[in-house]
Amino acid sequence: MNDKQNQPMGSLTNTEFIREIGGSFLKAIFRKFKNMTYIQILSSLLLAICFAGSVFFVHNNYSFYERPIVEVIETNLEDTTEIMDGNNNEDSLYTQRIIAELKNGEEKGEIVHLMNEYSLSGAYDQEYQVGNELFISIDTNIGENRELTGTITDVKRDKYVLIVAWIFIFTLLIVGKKQGLFSIISLIVNVVLISYALDIYLHTSNISLLWICGISVILFTVISLLLVNGFNEKTYAAIVATLLGTFFSLLITYLVMVITSEQGLRYEEMGFLTRPPQVVFMAGLLIGSLGAVMDVAITMSSSIFSLYEKNNDIPAKALKTSGMEIGKDIMGTMTNILFFAYVSGSIPTLILYLKNGSPLSYTFSLNLSLELARALAGGIGIVLAIPIGLYTALFFVNRKRARS
Amino acid sequence: MNVLVWLAGILFLLMTLVGGKKGARSFIAIFLNFAVLFLTIFIMLDPNADPIILTIIASTAISCITLFYINGVNITTKTAFLSTVITIVTLLFFIVIITETAMIQGFSEEEIGELYIFSFYIGVDFVKIGAAMIIMSTIGAITDIAISIASPMREILIHNPSISRKELFESGINIGRDILGTNTNTLFFAFFGGYLALLIWFKDLAYSFGEIVNSKVFSEEMITILCAGIGIAMIIPLTSSITAYFLVRTREKEEMSK
Repeated sequence: MNDKQNQPMGSLTNTEFIREIGGSFLKAIFRKFKNMTYIQILSSLLLAICFAGSVFFVHNNYSFYERPIVEVIETNLEDTTEIMDGNNNEDSLYTQRIIAELKNGEEKGEIVHLMNEYSLSGAYDQEYQVGNELFISIDTNIGENRELTGTITDVKRDKYVLIVAWIFIFTLLIVGKKQGLFSIISLIVNVVLISYALDIYLHTSNISLLWICGISVILFTVISLLLVNGFNEKTYAAIVATLLGTFFSLLITYLVMVITSEQGLRYEEMGFLTRPPQVVFMAGLLIGSLGAVMDVAITMSSSIFSLYEKNNDIPAKALKTSGMEIGKDIMGTMTNILFFAYVSGSIPTLILYLKNGSPLSYTFSLNLSLELARALAGGIGIVLAIPIGLYTALFFVNRKRARS
Repeated sequence: MNVLVWLAGILFLLMTLVGGKKGARSFIAIFLNFAVLFLTIFIMLDPNADPIILTIIASTAISCITLFYINGVNITTKTAFLSTVITIVTLLFFIVIITETAMIQGFSEEEIGELYIFSFYIGVDFVKIGAAMIIMSTIGAITDIAISIASPMREILIHNPSISRKELFESGINIGRDILGTNTNTLFFAFFGGYLALLIWFKDLAYSFGEIVNSKVFSEEMITILCAGIGIAMIIPLTSSITAYFLVRTREKEEMSK
């Protein structure tokens, strides 16, 4: 049917061409399989099973939830209103009538009628479409036709998070192979560790969060660097440098906060607070800058060690100059990473404030002060880690030299 | 004196002490990037401006500043720039689709409390703004990887002038693999630090696992982290192939002219 579009290439006819391509493709796959060890085949198989199993699970896990879940089967637009708020922002409001089918609980399979109001901009609401799965609460008083009605409370998002997680895992494995696997493992270990550390903090009231985070930071550093780089002197130098760098950047930030008596930090806009804000902020700052400082420390120590390994007689002065050059190169982009990671999160809030006519300086000082402080403190940690990383690596190199 | 002014002053002092002229330039680059970000936010306030196009323009400007202003205009920064822009545009479309289907745009139930005085019907498209936010938080890491792969690749070509394109590409991939772990770590910890309050909140209010996983705020943070990781991994083969292509092509041109 599509022969006209896929005209034969060169002297091959269409079918031959496809057979050729298909054949070489199969051959390539076959060759790949031959080169794979049993462990590789086994682990890819295991991965495929995990993927299929987990995707199947999140699409059929309704009975694991206590909250009623419905699947939208029909939507009707009831009403459209053009509105304008006090600051001349134009928007449209829509009302949607939704018919949905219950997926769990005693009334499984029954039909529920729902109403949904949403705006065009969708800052706090959204339009639902056929096939969407929603958490609802079922109204107790049944309507005149004995129809079930309910209120939408949330969206079932677990399947989307899972799919993105798998795309992430596959991209990292395909591109990074072994290193990709290690970074996935280190991410999981760190998440488990941080969750466990927070549990300890919440269940024992007399330990300060800063102390817990301090101990976690040591564990994070040791585990992540060992996982990424293995047991060797390069890693030990990086661990020492990371811990020193993070400690000094925290110390400087703390001293500045004491000297200025925290002027300019607006804790009131810090979201999700159930604990004293200062402590949560300092602990977040400590953990937040850790990754960047670790990155700088390992870059410094591995480049110094590789220079030394290439030429064992290299003078310490030459190592120092090339180390500083490498440090200068990474400084700018590393500080940029932290700045964007922190500041970008505030974009929607800034837009909401400004669109509601809040003054400029008020909006920025209120919403960005903590993010900026975090980014600046992280930047200080990054820059400090350059000389610290350089000198600890030199120290380890000299020790190695003295031994041999 | 203000905490921020003090910290900025200390950072500037340290950057010039350690990095000299290049350090000072890096510090100025941060301010220039800020200016671009703020300008973008201002233009986003206009409901007629498409946040996606704005984000692409802003990312191009930011990577120009980070790559060309700090590191100078040369073949490696040019290829790093090209691969950054390609990665950001591709990733952006992926993120828009995810934001739309997972419905993670805008504000969550948990955030709404302190914002109740505001009108939420402000006429700008929050799906696109949410996607812009996710891509912007990754852009620093993406440019970092691009330049960290492209510049050692040129060094390799200088030391082995007869290296083939394929070998050059493979050495680029190997460099990328080595920095993949530490770079993903940098972003993960940065995000964890920012989300610490949220984690404590979930635990303090005894959210069940099902509630956490399906909540808008958690899904949004999680998808941000994962998309950042995808972007970091994606740019490695892209930069390696683009840099290998252009480096080998310029070498061939030089040989032709000889």
